Amino acid sequence: MLRPIAIAALLAPALFAQEQLIDWRTNYREALTEAKASHKPLFVEFRCEA
Amino acid sequence: MEGRVFDAQVVLSPQDSPLGKVLSQYICVRIVRMDDVDIGLFDRDWNNAIYFFALNADEQIYFRYGGRESNSPDTYNSLESMWIALEQGLVLHKKYLAGQLPKQERPKPFFPRQIPPLVARTFAQHQCVECHLIGDFQNIQREREGVLDKLSQLYRSPDIKTLGISLDVPEGLVIKDATGPVAAAGMKPGDRITSWNGTPVITFGDVQYRYDQVDRHARSIHITVDRGGQSIDVAVDLPPLWWWTDLRFRQSSVDPRLDFEDRPLTAAEKQQLGLKPDSCASRVKYVSDMAKIRESHDLRIGDVIVAVDGVDTDPFANTAELYLKLHIKAGGSVKLEVLRDGKRITMPLQSYVLSFRK
Repeated sequence: MLRPIAIAALLAPALFAQEQLIDWRTNYREALTEAKASHKPLFVEFRCEA
Repeated sequence: MEGRVFDAQVVLSPQDSPLGKVLSQYICVRIVRMDDVDIGLFDRDWNNAIYFFALNADEQIYFRYGGRESNSPDTYNSLESMWIALEQGLVLHKKYLAGQLPKQERPKPFFPRQIPPLVARTFAQHQCVECHLIGDFQNIQREREGVLDKLSQLYRSPDIKTLGISLDVPEGLVIKDATGPVAAAGMKPGDRITSWNGTPVITFGDVQYRYDQVDRHARSIHITVDRGGQSIDVAVDLPPLWWWTDLRFRQSSVDPRLDFEDRPLTAAEKQQLGLKPDSCASRVKYVSDMAKIRESHDLRIGDVIVAVDGVDTDPFANTAELYLKLHIKAGGSVKLEVLRDGKRITMPLQSYVLSFRK
């Protein structure tokens, strides 16, 4: 029998497929270059996950 | 984990939600490792597990979003106020693109690898450079170099509630209630803070960061508020100990652990005991069980500490506990003069250093 966490992992892509989420980049330098090219501002999150 | 729910709410915002629509106008970046981050540019109080910056491609910061109070990491986080800040960020960005935004001096780059004890203790062991470790090891290095200013670098992020400011958090910097010093200065509920000591502010994170930069010797600050479209300057007299915050959530190794807590004596108590009116004498109100285990001291609840190493007054401390935290190095020892049952006795006190869990 699948454990609940495994079921959630299987269902997650299907759940999120209903909605378009924000594309969060993970490389600041690349994002800065993209901001320059697109003339968009940057919004940077610093998240301590430890 | 602090901020987990708020983090998920922001990061998993659908593009067609109110927050998602405004976030879509930004290049969004999520950084979970601090190893190579320019902490000179992205300076903040490092005892926050979640923090945001809005800026442009020239690395001019529009606003900070984050910040906490001592007893909760989540008090000032809300999707509504983040939406307001992001909208205001877009207004600034339009000015930037039109060449109408005043230039800011970019802070000097500074990286975690420039903090020697962080390199020795964290990088060398291939461990995660947790945000709080940056602040902790910066202070350790400052202490080693003899430049640690505990008033500003240990007691970071003064609490706006000490000024009597209570925010309507979802509304950003709108005042919900104004009491004490800010009420006396004329601030009213419904006012919206727009500037702190001359620097424009958009968020609580901006306010807390700018408040933290106020000289601890300052007697007053200037806050500008918007009241019904009118800009009003409010001169606020800072109360005694305005900079003090509860350090218990900080886990800082430069904070001497004392195994007791005290309270200031009242003027009447000082007079009754024949102590100076400006004395930092205090009454012990709590003694940790660890005091016996570590043999830190022999203080008892009700004792009155009248002097530390012969010193009985201080321009900043109003209790012996605060005097010790400000003036002795963690791990250091002192001699206390104590009134117990009408007799003056002396005893040693040994402080200790908090060990990091890593």
